[in-house]
Amino acid sequence: MTSKPCPATDRPWQSESAKPFIRIRNVTKKFGPVAAVDDVSLDIYKGELFCLLGGSGSGKSTLLRMLAGFEEPTAGSIEIDGQDMAHVPAYERPTNMMFQSYALFPHMSVERNVAYGLYRDNVAKGEIKQRVADMLDLVQLSGYERRKPNQLSGGQRQRVALARALIKRPKLLLLDEPLGALDKKLREETQFELVTIQETLGVTFIVVTHDQEEAMTLSTRIGVMNNGRIEQVGEPREIYEFPGNRFVADFIGSVNMFEGVVTENEADFVRIKSKDGDCDIYVSHGVGCAPNQKLWYALRPEKMEISRERPDQKENFFEGIVEDIAYMGNQSAYRIRLKSGKIVRLTRTNRDRGEETPITWDETVFVSWGPSAGVVLIA
Amino acid sequence: MQKTGFFMRFITVLGFVFLYAPILSLVIYSFNESRLVTVWGGFSTKWYGELLKDPQILSAAWISLKIAFTSASIALVLGTLTALVLVRFGRFRLRELLNGMITAPLVMPEVITGLSLLLLFVVMESWLGWPSQRGFTTIVIAHTTFCMAFVAVIIESRLSDMDESIEEAAGDLGARPVRVFFDITLPTIAPALVSAWLLAFTLSLDDLVIASFVSGPGSSTLPMVVFSKVRLGVSPDVNALATIMIGAIGLGVVIATILLLRQEKRAE
Repeated sequence: MTSKPCPATDRPWQSESAKPFIRIRNVTKKFGPVAAVDDVSLDIYKGELFCLLGGSGSGKSTLLRMLAGFEEPTAGSIEIDGQDMAHVPAYERPTNMMFQSYALFPHMSVERNVAYGLYRDNVAKGEIKQRVADMLDLVQLSGYERRKPNQLSGGQRQRVALARALIKRPKLLLLDEPLGALDKKLREETQFELVTIQETLGVTFIVVTHDQEEAMTLSTRIGVMNNGRIEQVGEPREIYEFPGNRFVADFIGSVNMFEGVVTENEADFVRIKSKDGDCDIYVSHGVGCAPNQKLWYALRPEKMEISRERPDQKENFFEGIVEDIAYMGNQSAYRIRLKSGKIVRLTRTNRDRGEETPITWDETVFVSWGPSAGVVLIA
Repeated sequence: MQKTGFFMRFITVLGFVFLYAPILSLVIYSFNESRLVTVWGGFSTKWYGELLKDPQILSAAWISLKIAFTSASIALVLGTLTALVLVRFGRFRLRELLNGMITAPLVMPEVITGLSLLLLFVVMESWLGWPSQRGFTTIVIAHTTFCMAFVAVIIESRLSDMDESIEEAAGDLGARPVRVFFDITLPTIAPALVSAWLLAFTLSLDDLVIASFVSGPGSSTLPMVVFSKVRLGVSPDVNALATIMIGAIGLGVVIATILLLRQEKRAE
């Protein structure tokens, strides 16, 4: 499930000369006094599968609806393929949208639903028939032409909605929680299909989701949204391993956050004093910060070790007591209470079968990590 | 538990008897042989035959049907447009006020509605010269106004239940707003339209008070004829006529209800 539509070498967002396909410039959308989208600027490139990730009320859906033309920005501009979208109504935009509720026309058959966009464009009857057949074939719904939406399962409806949105070969496909209404197993299969279809057709996708796992799996890049603003834009790996601030670190995956103060600040290392442990946190790279600045050290649960013995290092370990263990088969999750009272979450892959004396409840243990395991966050 | 069950059933039966006993006795006595309304003289359908020979009743029935058809149709168009404006065009000022005002005719005493319309028509006639006489046109206008309120309420509730994203989806696929209305909105609310029309039709058909105010010579509706006949003493043919009207109105209401229920079920 690590399929990425763009080959690793083709990353237009890293190139200075690449021209963005979609330019969102300082877009703000206000509903009354509340800014649902607040001064967002974003470049999206052709062929991307871009995920807008955020909780409810983060403004991700509003941003999508502005791209589709259902909402007009209060300020700022949106450009698609070099064309300014101000005052261009939805029915004239080169975009199509797949709705969260699928929004299938209940009184039309699958075939009529999918063909609707082509009829509106006055495409010749014969061509419509051919294109609808091809599209239904692509989403594996051949044979369902005559069915009405209420005679389909959730997964089938989802595919009709996708087919209907793709039939006009839009330059940009907008997907609002495309997998939200499916159960877990179906969702995983469909994620895969979605990426395959996107690769096959080469259409640019913008997907809105609140599911970080989905965003990780699908996208070339993720834009994390919070309170109407974009917190960080980056490739999934970048977002996970190098979160730019506490919100992103906390929102994507789980993380242990230690508050501390810089005691030594050199070009190639920093030393952080945290009241959560007796020894310092040593980070093997420089951080642009002032001396004595308050900052946070973010450490993912899988990047730490747990042991009974005091680790053979001067820094980067905390002592604590095992408060809880959850055995999950492939891995175990530990909750460890530090002396300071802070709970540290840690996961360990269960490599050995039949460990003789596994670490157990209420034992005193040491959690330790390497000098490059965590991320220093200033904001 | 058993006791409560019995009590509930008893009350229910009592309620329905209270509601339907008069109607039932009327229906039964419409098949009465005897000329005396209160004396049972054996089964007969002769009063129905009598009815068909009465030109006054036949012409009144025809006028009533024409009025009901016309005013229900106009009310359907106007009421639907009203509902669309109230539901679809966002929050504009006065929206809540208009929303409340549209339901006012539903609770307004008919005497007041009738009287105010009569005054309006009289003033209009003297100032504008139209409508030149009270009759068919004025009754249609009067019925349209109060039927429109019913239509608007029914369509409004249907529209606000409707998933707006299917209209957006059609727009997104290239349909202009008018196209969206005819392709998507109208088919979706079609059953509500039919039931609203049927309701408006029956409301117009059985209105006596408002019609009495705004009718003129030669435009007596069926309820008006029945009422004037009854004032001279109840005759058995009125029973027969009433039975037919109950049948027609009952049928309309039943069809309207079935359509609405079926649509609700489909929406689930």
